[in-house]
Amino acid sequence: MKNNDTSRRDFLRASGGALGAAWLGIQWSDLAVAAGHAHEAAAGRIDHEFKVLTPAQARDVEAIAAQIVPSGDTPGAREAGVVYFIDHVNAGIYARNAPEFLAGLAAFQQEFATSHPGPGQFADLEGPAQIAYLKSVEKTPFFGAMRFLTVAGLLALPSYGGNEQKLGWKLVGFVDQHVWSPPFGYYDKDYPGFEPYPKAARS
Amino acid sequence: MSTRKFGPNDTVDFIVVGSGAAGGVIARELSQAGNTVLVLEQGPRYTAADFKHDELGYWFNNAITNSPQANPQTFRKTAADTAKRTEGIPALIYARLVGGSSNHFTANFWRFHEVDFKERSLLGPIEGTSFADWPIDYAELEPYYTKVEWEVGVSGLAGASPFDPPRSKPYPMPPLPVKSSGVLLERGARKLGLHPFPAPMAIASEPYRGRAACAHCGFCIGFGCEMQAKSSTLYTMIPEAEATGRCEVRSESYVSRIEVNDRNRVTGVAYFDKDKREHFQKARAVVVSANGAESARLLLMSADARHPDGLANSSGLVGRNLMFNTYAQANAVFEHELNEYKSVQVTRIVHDFYQSDPKRGFYGGGGFDGRIGPNPIGWAMFQPPPERAWGAEFKSLIEKMPRAMISATHGTSLPLESNRVDLDPELKDAWGLPAMRVTYKDHPDDLANARFLQDRATEVLQAAGAQEVWKDPVEDSTIGVHLLGTCRMGNDPKTSVVDRYHRTHDIRNLFVCDGSSLVTSGRGQPTMTIQALAFRAGDHIARFAKRGDI
Repeated sequence: MKNNDTSRRDFLRASGGALGAAWLGIQWSDLAVAAGHAHEAAAGRIDHEFKVLTPAQARDVEAIAAQIVPSGDTPGAREAGVVYFIDHVNAGIYARNAPEFLAGLAAFQQEFATSHPGPGQFADLEGPAQIAYLKSVEKTPFFGAMRFLTVAGLLALPSYGGNEQKLGWKLVGFVDQHVWSPPFGYYDKDYPGFEPYPKAARS
Repeated sequence: MSTRKFGPNDTVDFIVVGSGAAGGVIARELSQAGNTVLVLEQGPRYTAADFKHDELGYWFNNAITNSPQANPQTFRKTAADTAKRTEGIPALIYARLVGGSSNHFTANFWRFHEVDFKERSLLGPIEGTSFADWPIDYAELEPYYTKVEWEVGVSGLAGASPFDPPRSKPYPMPPLPVKSSGVLLERGARKLGLHPFPAPMAIASEPYRGRAACAHCGFCIGFGCEMQAKSSTLYTMIPEAEATGRCEVRSESYVSRIEVNDRNRVTGVAYFDKDKREHFQKARAVVVSANGAESARLLLMSADARHPDGLANSSGLVGRNLMFNTYAQANAVFEHELNEYKSVQVTRIVHDFYQSDPKRGFYGGGGFDGRIGPNPIGWAMFQPPPERAWGAEFKSLIEKMPRAMISATHGTSLPLESNRVDLDPELKDAWGLPAMRVTYKDHPDDLANARFLQDRATEVLQAAGAQEVWKDPVEDSTIGVHLLGTCRMGNDPKTSVVDRYHRTHDIRNLFVCDGSSLVTSGRGQPTMTIQALAFRAGDHIARFAKRGDI
């Protein structure tokens, strides 16, 4: 298991020149390759049936995702259907890693139950208490996996089963379009053209 | 697709192992010169229509890159450490398909400068390194750089950079339209008295040789080009090689071994087809262009009784002197929208710090650019500092993506014999072949140089008026995408693997040409130089073949 922070920095460095596969948190397989682009849900419409998660598991997964990217003035992980993405990829492209993910989730729930005796689960806590609890586990591989899956469920192609109604892309201002033309942004609108350097400045 | 098909009993003039930046060029040059050429590519063949805007698949699930499961690697920093299997991210990353990494690269296309070829003479030795001059100089390579620009297709503005080396011809296409990141980089850099200039890119800014111009979709880094505007060998060199009627490109053909007879001549190669059945193809000569990691591995895997340390390895240098181009990054958010997810990654670069300067207290130089890094998932996963990795602060940062850019720095990596690719003694790949073991630790000067460049990039972003600027930590590299130096070129068989024409010193009809040939790392963006070397190698090897000198 790679250290989470190290992986992130390594990837950053690598991504400067070209790039490749990357992982955060848990070891994922390359099953997406084998699976081609077969997805669980039809593009643009999420399948709201759980295939892997139990209702209690789904409640906690959704609650964690909703703290990683909270709802508010703008949509968050909950509105983007991240929990369905996480469920579906554990039955699909990441099925090979599902046992590891589910074991991490079970350990999360078990530790929560131990430290919070009585009825109720993580999802039943108030928001601030959820945040405080997640801070205590944010270095765990399971949380790293949840962070990656939340981001992916928010921002991957909707055909993977998340990013419902492209809400994730709307959140980060990304528009999925194959053709653009300049100007691309505010600062290149009035660019006067490249001004050559005087010969004297040349070394 | 290839119309020429060679039979199992045919002896081809040349087998080229690998169809990427170098292999594609060499296949075209040798077949156009009248030779029969079989290209063996380990990955599949895709067309433009097969490529997707699928960030999850391409960046995170190895859609077109080497897979940690099928192509496992182990990594350690030094020979004293135990190499551990890399779990999610391979140590050395390359694209595994026809066209190789010229499909998924960013297409930054810098020429090396005159100094890159003779720096050892200019600066003197650096203790503990194998810092050396090249056996060729810039002037000798210049016609081939020009050939790359015109035959492969590069957009740029000749004479824009005061630091550019001499050139014999302008670029065939104008620079791509500037993006907001380019305007801001230029604004900040000019304020500081620097000389930013339009980035040369191997992406068509206008229709070129039957290919479409860039549609500015933004999916360059990590993706195959759906427009055929990126000048990858898949769209440029490979079809031209096939059009000769003398070249077959055989995909999903993974070379496991090069055979050498008792007269010390290569006789052909063994390879696995897509069903993992092994075949042998005879050839009069073999050119290995499998990339700076796989070429060395193949030579080492081909060890036999006469070559117990691997082929072409009498120097002991096959796999050694691995170099990456040390990288650093500064991130910034501005007041207004840049929308960096649109169009090519880079439109302006700064080369004012290209030269090494002893006054800095370390060896090294480089450049930096303006860009985004890269698409939505990558932005959310990698750009936030650790204290903003989740929660409301994280969300507010990812919502700023339209107003964000980064400056990426690209610098020197010193050649060290201890940095290497060799064969893992235990781990095997999905074909039962020895996995690649990678040993790598940056020279302290490489890290000092990366931090220096990052500081200069940070100053430029601040001068451009950024609201927030933050730097990523610069630490030891554990991942490389520029795979350089592992079969270095030189005149002395004791200190190099191939001669000035890419012929191995040890075996007359065995050649190696790709990133592994580089003697020094340059300052980054090595593909242009790899392709110039490939054109030059193809030119000379075709002449050798013509006069029976193989």
